[in-house]
Amino acid sequence: MRREPIDPEGIVWSRVSPKYLRVRLIGWFVGSVIYLLIFSIPLILRLAGVWPDFPPLAIAIALPAAVLLISGWRGLLLPRQVRALGYAERDDDLLIRSGVIFQRTLVVPYGRMQYVDVAVGPLERAFGLCTLKLHTASPATNAAIPGLPAAEGARLREQLSSRGEARLAGL
Amino acid sequence: MPGGPPAGTDDDSWRRVSVISPLVRGWIALAAIAFFFGRDWFEGLFGPGAREGLPGAIGIGLTIALILGIVVLIALGFLVSWYFTRYQVTAEYVRVNSGVLFRQNRQARLDRVQAIDVVQPFLARIFGLAELKFEVADAGESAVRLAFLRLSEAQQLRATILARASGAAVAPDASGGLAEAPEREVVAVPSGRVIGAVLLSGTTVLLLAAVVVVATVTVVFRTPFAAPTLIPMALGVAGTYWSALNSGYNFRAALSPDGIRVRYGLLDTRAQTVPPGRVQAVGIDQPLLWRLKGWYRINANVAGYGAGSPGEGQARATLLPVGTRAEVFSILALVLPDPGTERPLEVFSAGLNASGPAEGFTTAPRRARWLAPLTWRRSGFAVTGTALLVRSGYFHRRLAVVPHERTQSLSLHQGPLERALRVMELQLQTTPGPVAPSLSHIDETAALDLFSGQARRAAEARRRSIPEQWMKPIQQTSGAVMPAPPSYGPPATGAQEPPGPGQPPLDPPRDQPLEQPPLDPPLDQPNRQQIPEGPGSHEQR
Repeated sequence: MRREPIDPEGIVWSRVSPKYLRVRLIGWFVGSVIYLLIFSIPLILRLAGVWPDFPPLAIAIALPAAVLLISGWRGLLLPRQVRALGYAERDDDLLIRSGVIFQRTLVVPYGRMQYVDVAVGPLERAFGLCTLKLHTASPATNAAIPGLPAAEGARLREQLSSRGEARLAGL
Repeated sequence: MPGGPPAGTDDDSWRRVSVISPLVRGWIALAAIAFFFGRDWFEGLFGPGAREGLPGAIGIGLTIALILGIVVLIALGFLVSWYFTRYQVTAEYVRVNSGVLFRQNRQARLDRVQAIDVVQPFLARIFGLAELKFEVADAGESAVRLAFLRLSEAQQLRATILARASGAAVAPDASGGLAEAPEREVVAVPSGRVIGAVLLSGTTVLLLAAVVVVATVTVVFRTPFAAPTLIPMALGVAGTYWSALNSGYNFRAALSPDGIRVRYGLLDTRAQTVPPGRVQAVGIDQPLLWRLKGWYRINANVAGYGAGSPGEGQARATLLPVGTRAEVFSILALVLPDPGTERPLEVFSAGLNASGPAEGFTTAPRRARWLAPLTWRRSGFAVTGTALLVRSGYFHRRLAVVPHERTQSLSLHQGPLERALRVMELQLQTTPGPVAPSLSHIDETAALDLFSGQARRAAEARRRSIPEQWMKPIQQTSGAVMPAPPSYGPPATGAQEPPGPGQPPLDPPRDQPLEQPPLDPPLDQPNRQQIPEGPGSHEQR
């Protein structure tokens, strides 16, 4: 993957599991179908004749079309979004990057870490993945790494905990 | 020990809060009951059904009996809850047991203290009572709330907790004679200025605009119906004015070895103590109208205070409700004793008022003016040896100061427009509070430099940061004098004394920024040796 301007120099990013794309795709598909159904209600009612002429036909068609368009765009973006997720363990801190269009790079010093969460949802469990979340004293620190293989998640959790302990600082 | 509780010699014992505190806490409930029944009874006297009901005397008697019964029940409830609430302060912990059916035992480490407040709501003030709040860094409700104690008792307890938390007095039996650490007043805000600041706030502008709009509507359309909309607005504005006045009135800030002391309040009074190193970020801002008078406000993020409720939380996070520039520097010198630069006055002034690249500030590049036509020359940052300064705001000027070792995390953001213009946004995450430092539209290279440099500086600063127990490693000096508060550069206010002979210079030139132990001034103060109890009561380290 090419280096984006937002990446600090000399960082080798660890990527999340490629299987995470499937988790995201399933979630995306289910969500898209639900949204599509909801926004198709005016069109269905109109075609069924329940609503004779209240929403103009153009609007009734435009709503699901817009949903399709947005969903399609998001679906196309998903593979790149998953590939853009990355993390790097440095000596003193953990770097996390994400985003394709709106990019973000976050650095959390190990000593600032208050606790580490490893969460597994049903879909993630089916693929043997987990989500690791690092908490600092600031709720604004949004340091989550989704789509880690379970073993890597456990290793990272232990690694972060021991490093955090070694560099323990109050606040 | 003068004025202390009789059991002062045995400080580890379990104690209860003051016996009249249920009354002070429950008076609202009692008042509500009185109002409720009183109104019923009063209306019943004159209502149409008054004659047909029970004969007056029996009815009144029954009602009074009923009211008394309910009051007694509630009072009993409060009494039982009071009886089962006990607290204990040991050398390392403060413990509170409460609850009757569902017992709660809470224990908080003393050296984890982030702030201690002694609060006196109006009614408690009448009875000479106070509430003590012990804050730790979970940013939720207070870890320990003792409501209510006698004021002297609360102050005594605060002194004991702070002394033990600081590591100055470790032996539990030594604490009986601990008086409050001495303090020196640094800033006192005159009440006239508080009123002026309230009147010059944005609320006033909104009110005036609303009045103009309503008057125009009334005149143009010849209708009186717009005028009543002003009534709720006036009530809201009055509320805002009142809370600003109440929380800014009689504001005093002082320095003590236990940290910064802040007192304020008109009807409800509050005394807050924030120990050294507990301030996570400082924000100085100046609303547009305050420029007329050259006033500023200082807010701070303190972990224990959290975001809080809008009114109270905001007041608690205020280190200076309204002050001149000299006072701003006095407060800044308390919070950040080592500014990390040889020209602190110039650098911070540039951060407060200037725009452009003066005094080491890096501003947004010229191409960013498409994204920020007004602020691109103003928004920028400067790095000193100990803190990062982030300035922003064209009309409402803001300056955020974050000590390097207090940064929780850093993030870089870039959207498509910013990518096209090769600029970035950098955010610093600190504990919840009013200050949220964020730098927008910084040149890519500068942002990346700052990002990696800041991560490195934060790591370095943490390695040499002061310990949790802020007095523990310091040699006890026998000096009995409270040293002058640290100040920046030449005494701008004219009232500052030069540092004592035993003091290191307050603005040490940062030739060897790493080897030098930082943050000297507030730590090098004498411990509580001015108490004429003899040195035996304190642990000599």
